[in-house]
Amino acid sequence: MSTALHGLGHYLPTVIERGGVRRPIAVEPIGPSTLAVPAGRGALAQAGLATEAVDFIIFATMTPDVVFPGAGCYFQHQMGCRTVGALDIRAQCAGFVFGLVIADRFIRAAVYEHVLLIGAEVHSSGLDYSADGIRIAALYGDGAGATLLGTGKGTAALRGAAIHTDGRHHQQFWCEYPASRQHPIRVTVDDFRARRHFPAINFDAVRRFGEAALPQVIGEALHAAGTAPEQIDRYIIGHLMPEVAEAVGGHLGIPSSRLNIPSARHGHLTAAALPVALSEDVSNGIVGPGTTVCLAACGAGFAWGAAVVTL
Amino acid sequence: MRNAKLLGIGHHVPPRIVTNRDLMAVMDTTDEWIQQRTGICERHYSEGWTGAADMGAIAARQALAHAQLTVEQIDCVIFATLSPDVDMPASACLLQDRLGIGGIPAFDVRNQCSGFLYGLAVADKFVKTGLYDHVLLVGAEVHSTGLDLTTRGREVSVIFGDGAGAVVLGPEADSQRGILSTHLHADGQFAEKLWLECPSSRERPRLTEDMIAGPDARTFPKMEGRYVFRHAVTRFPEVIREALDANGLTPEDISLFIPHQANLRISQAVAMSLGLPEERVFNNIQRYGNTTAASIPIALHEALDEGRVRSGDLVCLGAFGAGFTWAAALIRW
Repeated sequence: MSTALHGLGHYLPTVIERGGVRRPIAVEPIGPSTLAVPAGRGALAQAGLATEAVDFIIFATMTPDVVFPGAGCYFQHQMGCRTVGALDIRAQCAGFVFGLVIADRFIRAAVYEHVLLIGAEVHSSGLDYSADGIRIAALYGDGAGATLLGTGKGTAALRGAAIHTDGRHHQQFWCEYPASRQHPIRVTVDDFRARRHFPAINFDAVRRFGEAALPQVIGEALHAAGTAPEQIDRYIIGHLMPEVAEAVGGHLGIPSSRLNIPSARHGHLTAAALPVALSEDVSNGIVGPGTTVCLAACGAGFAWGAAVVTL
Repeated sequence: MRNAKLLGIGHHVPPRIVTNRDLMAVMDTTDEWIQQRTGICERHYSEGWTGAADMGAIAARQALAHAQLTVEQIDCVIFATLSPDVDMPASACLLQDRLGIGGIPAFDVRNQCSGFLYGLAVADKFVKTGLYDHVLLVGAEVHSTGLDLTTRGREVSVIFGDGAGAVVLGPEADSQRGILSTHLHADGQFAEKLWLECPSSRERPRLTEDMIAGPDARTFPKMEGRYVFRHAVTRFPEVIREALDANGLTPEDISLFIPHQANLRISQAVAMSLGLPEERVFNNIQRYGNTTAASIPIALHEALDEGRVRSGDLVCLGAFGAGFTWAAALIRW
């Protein structure tokens, strides 16, 4: 049995200017679960399915609505789904590819028929738009993407994927606080005043790692899919720094007409970057039934992955 | 399709024991009240800079030794927690760092009290479908640094403890043995009946001084205990019956039931509703409190050490908690 993408949807909040750049930013007090609802409805509509058909939800985010419970629970309720399982996963920028691999295994094992996979982030509420933090804050946007996965039909299939993590680099790209390891209390007013609750990034390390890991993992996914590079109609590469995705495209000899770099348009959407970009490509008629797409992402953790999908 | 089974198990709790009497020194509560409501006598709190991944690494090494595997033989790490070491990245990344391994996939599952069973469901499918041979599944929590240890927070704070449990899953050749099935549920309608609000990405900004130090204590967990109890005693037996039905089994077939250790009164009510006698239910909340994602592997490890599980036994794992989420798994030993 194989798994295929039956429907895609995405939602981006209004583009506004903040910190000198224009980004989709959720101004209303909402979290990723709420941004994901129109995306989820879009994916269901494209798949021709009702909400009741959803057997399982996988929600990938690093900016959950609240500390707990997970954004998946909030999403499930807002969608009006049955009391199906709602798995919340954390794999940062690679969260969507990790989610694809998990969804694929539940479908192959014939446990669930229809899995709704969400990647959604509200970064803007957790960033430092002052002069101290603007270099990082300017790189992000908010958004949500959804994919309805089911059993493969005809040539449509998730043909191969590869996922990796190397936690030895976790301090190169992280947000330390709140830190449950800090005793006696995981976040204090002092931590807040010291701005320890904002992300910190070693840009050189993140760039070097991405430029090395992405071509490698794309090669692995192509190998797993039994696909030659020339059979890939479209590459979508998710990375915090658009120039890293461009360098990877150059390294692999991908013509710019076949390369989609979501962070160049929206700022980095982390777990939402790949499903938003794929859904946009479908909406714009750039990809469709029969075309083969390679999705790849690399980021904090470090965690990285790639998948080859024939729509 | 092959089955998955548990090849090894381990657990770790930090050395510092906090009794109900110790809590009486910092909040208006009594040993009798805590025991009567929850069954808890004491719990463990971590110290220093010990986070969930630090304790998880100790439990993981035990589980690997028990399975007679080396860290290099792990193909994937799944880490269930609601109290990650740092905000980002996932505690699974820090666990990899502690174990000195890199390259294999590692991610967190954030499903609260049902986290271990959600993680088990994923690990089971990874092994079943042949994606990986050896999956390390860790459930670990450091709750103590996120509790309001004053009278204001007593209803929640007396319940929780720190701890870690780990299992290694691998292939099982016998199709009648190993993990028979997993069943996962959620109902976000009740998300705010047991929750920890802030930092909250839906707030603008996500974290403020007032959230940390203000009168609303928004960086501490909150619970409507009676609500949780009422839903737990309904959903818990319901999902266990669903698991039994899926395998053509009945409650009489359960050799040992290991519930998530949320509250002794909930476990007793669930056992009664299923008609399970006391000797077929394992509880250790008295000594650990509620360790959320860690409670089932800690309890399972102790049950195995006490010889409570024999070859051929049917073990039922069940959980209910924040989300609300609830889950069950059946394992033929």
